[in-house]
Order: sequence, then C-alpha cells, then structure tokens
Amino acid sequence: MDNKPKKWSYIYLVFVFILMYAPIFYLIFYSFNKGDYMNGFDGFSLRHYQDMFADTRLMEILVNTFIVALLSSVLATLIGTFGALGIYNTKHRTTKNLLLSLNNVLMVSPDVIVGASFLIFFTMIGMSLGFGSVVLSHIAFSIPIVVLMVLPRLNEMNPALIDAARDLGASNYQVLSRVVLPYAWPGILAGFFMAITYSLDDFAVTFFVTGNGFSTLSVEIYSRARQGIDLSINALSALMFLLSLLLVIVYYFISNYSVKSSKKKRGGAAGMVVHQ
Amino acid sequence: MAQPIIEFKHVAKQYDDTVVLKSVDLEIEAGKFYTLLGPSGSGKTTILRLIAGFLEASSGDILFEGERINDVPAEKRRVNTVFQNYALFPNMNVFENVAFGMSIKGKPKNEIKAKVAEMLELVKLGGYEDREISELSGGQQQRVAIARALANDPEVLLLDEPLSALDYKLRKDMQYELREIQKRLGITFIFVTHDQEEALAMSDWIFVTNEGEIVQNGTPVDIYDEPINHFVADFIGESNIVPGVMREDYLVSFAGKEFENVDGGMRPNEQVEVVLRPEDLDLVAEEDGKLVVTIDDQSFRGDYYEITAHDDDQNEWQVQATNPAVIGERRGLYFDPEDIHIMRLNESEEDFDARLEQYDDSEEDEEGADEQ
Repeated sequence: MDNKPKKWSYIYLVFVFILMYAPIFYLIFYSFNKGDYMNGFDGFSLRHYQDMFADTRLMEILVNTFIVALLSSVLATLIGTFGALGIYNTKHRTTKNLLLSLNNVLMVSPDVIVGASFLIFFTMIGMSLGFGSVVLSHIAFSIPIVVLMVLPRLNEMNPALIDAARDLGASNYQVLSRVVLPYAWPGILAGFFMAITYSLDDFAVTFFVTGNGFSTLSVEIYSRARQGIDLSINALSALMFLLSLLLVIVYYFISNYSVKSSKKKRGGAAGMVVHQ
Repeated sequence: MAQPIIEFKHVAKQYDDTVVLKSVDLEIEAGKFYTLLGPSGSGKTTILRLIAGFLEASSGDILFEGERINDVPAEKRRVNTVFQNYALFPNMNVFENVAFGMSIKGKPKNEIKAKVAEMLELVKLGGYEDREISELSGGQQQRVAIARALANDPEVLLLDEPLSALDYKLRKDMQYELREIQKRLGITFIFVTHDQEEALAMSDWIFVTNEGEIVQNGTPVDIYDEPINHFVADFIGESNIVPGVMREDYLVSFAGKEFENVDGGMRPNEQVEVVLRPEDLDLVAEEDGKLVVTIDDQSFRGDYYEITAHDDDQNEWQVQATNPAVIGERRGLYFDPEDIHIMRLNESEEDFDARLEQYDDSEEDEEGADEQ
C-alpha cells in the first residue's frame, strides 16, 4: 500500500527525464545515419563524423569556443570570488543588500538585453568585435554566477574562524589564504564549472558581440541550421554532449576528492603546511 | 605591588546609541586565574574581546604591561583566545590546527612538531595529531582549541565560555583540568562565564559584571560571603534577601524581630537588605528557632532537600536541609549572627570596601585590647 505513491513518483520522474533527454538522443541517433536527412534511418555510418572532423572551420570554432570558455571562467572565478568576499565583508546591511541585488539583477536580466548593451558599449568605445569582446562579455555574465556560488559558502563559515586565525597571529593575507579560501573552495570550484557551462552554451550574448571571422559553436550551429540541416551538426552535438558529460564527471570527482582529502589524505599534507 | 599585566582605565564601548560597557576599570595581575562573571549581555565578553583586540574601545585606555595597546591589532597581541564554539579550522587536522600559530610565525618544522606533541600531551590528547576535527567529540575539540591557543606561548589566555557546550560531568572535569593547566604553566587565565558555580570553583579572583559595569570584584569567598548588592547576592548562589533596618552597629531588625549580627559602619535606623544563605539556615523545633516559619514546599536535590517556607510576615525563606520536612508544619529557623550579611542600598564598591576595612580594623583593635 505504501509503495503506491512511491511507484507513481518513480514513473513521473522517468517520464520527465525521457521527455528531456529524448530530443538529444534523437539528434545523436541520427548522427550515425548513412543518409543525409533525419526522416529515415538508412543504416549505420560514421561519415558525418568524418565530415565534421574534415571541416577545419568547424574545428577551429570548437577550439575557440573552449578557449573562450576556459579563459572567461578562470577570470570570472577570480573576480567573482573577490566580489563575493567584498560583499561578505560589507558590514553595512543596506549596502550589502544593494550589492547583492545588483548582482542578482545581472543574473536574471535577459541575455538579449545584456548582449545588445554590450554591443552598444563596445562600439561606443570603439573596440573591434571578435575574440576580445566575446571573452569580456562572457567574463561579465559569469561573474554573478560565481558570486552566487561562493557567497553562501562564505556565509556558512563560522566568523569566529577569522577571529581565531588573527588571534593566532595571521595577517589579513594569511587569514584569506589559509582559512577563508580553503573553506570556500568547494563553492569556488562549483562557480568555475558553472561559468564554463554558461560560457559554452551561451548564444544570445555571443551572437551580438562576435564580429566578422570570429564565432563560437552555438552561433555557428545556429547560422548553419538556418541554411538547412546538415547531419555533421548532429555529430557535433553528440560530441558536445559527451564533453559536457565528461565535465560533469570531472566536477563530481574533484568535489568528491576535496571532501575526501580533508578526511584522509591530510595526514601527509600536514608536513606540507608547516613547510611553507 | 607588581605592575599589572593588563589594566583598563575608564574603558567604554558603545555601538551607535547602545552602550555595552560603561567606563570600566580593572587590573589583572600576572599568573592568576581571573573570571568575568555575569548574565548574558552584561559586557563580560565585550571586555574579553577588547583585550583580544577584536573590538576597539570607544574611549579609555587598555594597557598591557604598562603600555597602551588600544591600536595594536589582534595578531600582534601576546594573548590568545579559546572560543566559545571552539572555532577550529575544519579544513585542517588536529596537528595543523595546533601548529597554525607557529607555522604563521615560520618556526622550524621539528620545533613545531615537538611543541604540538607537548601541547596535545598537556590537554591529554597525545597521539591525536592525524585526527580530523570532524572525528572528535565536543570535549576533545575543546581540548584541541586550548592546545592551539597555548601553543603560541601567550602571556594571557582568554577563555570565552569554553565549557558551556559540554555536558555537566565533562564540564566539571574540564574545570579541574583547566585550573591544573593554569597552575602548571603559571600564565594568566581570564575566563568568561555566566555559570557562578564554575566561577567560584576555578577562580583566584572574580569580576562580577552587570549592565556594562563591574559591580564587584574579589576572591570567590569574599564575593559569596559579602555580596555588595541585591544583584550579586541573587546572581551568586541562592539567597534569601529580606528588607531590614540597621538599628545600630551589630544589631539589625527584620521580619519583625531584632537580631545580633557582625556588620557595622552604617547610620542608625538605616534601611538595608539582609542576606541569609539557604545552607546557613537550620530547621529546628519551633521554640528553639529565632524565627518561626511554615513549610510550603520541598524538592529533593540529591545531596540535600530544598525547602521553601514563609514566616509570619510573609517573607519567603529557602532552606537547604539534609533531612526532609513535613509540608504545612510550623518549624523554627536558626542561624548564627555571622550568617547575617547586610547590604546597604546603592552603595558603591569603593565605599563598601572602605566600610568593610574600617570595621574589620576596629574589630582587630578590640581583640588587641582584650589581649593586653
């Protein structure tokens, strides 16, 4: 009797997941099609993958996309972490709420508006559109995400830890490097990975600020899809799906490792800290 | 007298309009166990944080070995703190926690190792170096926190209600151990607590705080036996406090009768408060008592019965007795003249001390005269 509601919730969950993953798997399935269209499976073939890898322009864009993602998320993590520290250290409550709200507004404002405003901004200051403008805009929309990931972790921290570190003789820098940053590390890591995924799949903002000759995957796929469906796009989607899966797995292992290392491996690390 | 290690001169602290500390003066001598005792919000933790350097005084001077340290940051002060919730670094193990202060100072590795081992031995956690903080019980975390603070060789150790999170039995054990550690190391301890029993058991000297002021300071025995006012009498131990009138020196009237006592130095017929401790009162046969009371209630406390009763003037009396009483029975209440303690209304601590000294002297003179 008790099982019944549980069973229904199970069925519901499976249904929702099927609904969400079906289009992706449909796309991946047809990437292995021998034929050129998605309206009939003519047999298994890897020729679309061959096409894709032979397309140097596409490969170049793929590399560009990852460079933009990594560069922008590293910088955004750096800036966002210090931003979170700034908000955390703001004593005045109204100022603190104001800063936090300004941060959240950036999070919720539509990408189109953000993209358009960046376009206006970059043209106004006379900056040429391309790699630089894309990286800058990606950094800008990733910072609020990082702040939002790091700040709760800082708020969770017992403020007496900072007093304790100072009490034991730590300077401001040492308090930060030895106590606060190690404590906030899981949040920083989560922010970094979130920033990567946001940068990888951003279309709207990038669409506005890419100039001639520079493009990222999402923009490129969009422009190609408009000209008619090419199954090498399907192959690319399959590849991207695998990569994002890999990203999730890497994140899982890193976050698990940092929990474990503070449980077991620290015995060995003790000497290291003293050594510094 | 030796120079005090810590001295407060008219130190006050306020946030905007809220005054948390009103002009406090105190002197701390090296090598003793001090306690700041008071209810929550009385300013005791503020005093501690001012000494540690986590707060800045709004006015007044804080001196350390005679030098003003108001502007010295916390990390440069030769005091260390044991925090209420331990504040151990969760991303480090026991060794790294205890070694933190020394590694900041860049001490050589083998020296740190030896010192950590010594400190952990001192708090009876020898061999726990590699344990994680999350694996330790509350009592063990407490010990690590003490070891971490002591590993820095502080001149003064500040303890901010460190035992409040421990269970009763463990708290008792830690009281003895802390006292022992303090005696062994010979450094000054300043202990903050709201637990009067803890304060009486551990301290050489107690500062009682209330509403941002130090209302009385003295040895545990002085404070228990000679509370300065209603607040102290009520806060430290159990008390029966009844209004009375001081007829003349050594004669007080309360509950409708006159009693011989040992206090003096007051105006004739001055309104006073009379304190009698429940453990000083004995229940005797009705005709042998100095007062007659009716038993209202009693509760068993293990080592004694706590009995409440009222006299014919409807004053309430608490009595601690080893034998049970019968509810509703009329009994006599007996006490000795020296059990009666008189408190003047609104007497300052200075006047109080001066008066005590004055009539203590006169008593000694009389004794001297008797001997001759």
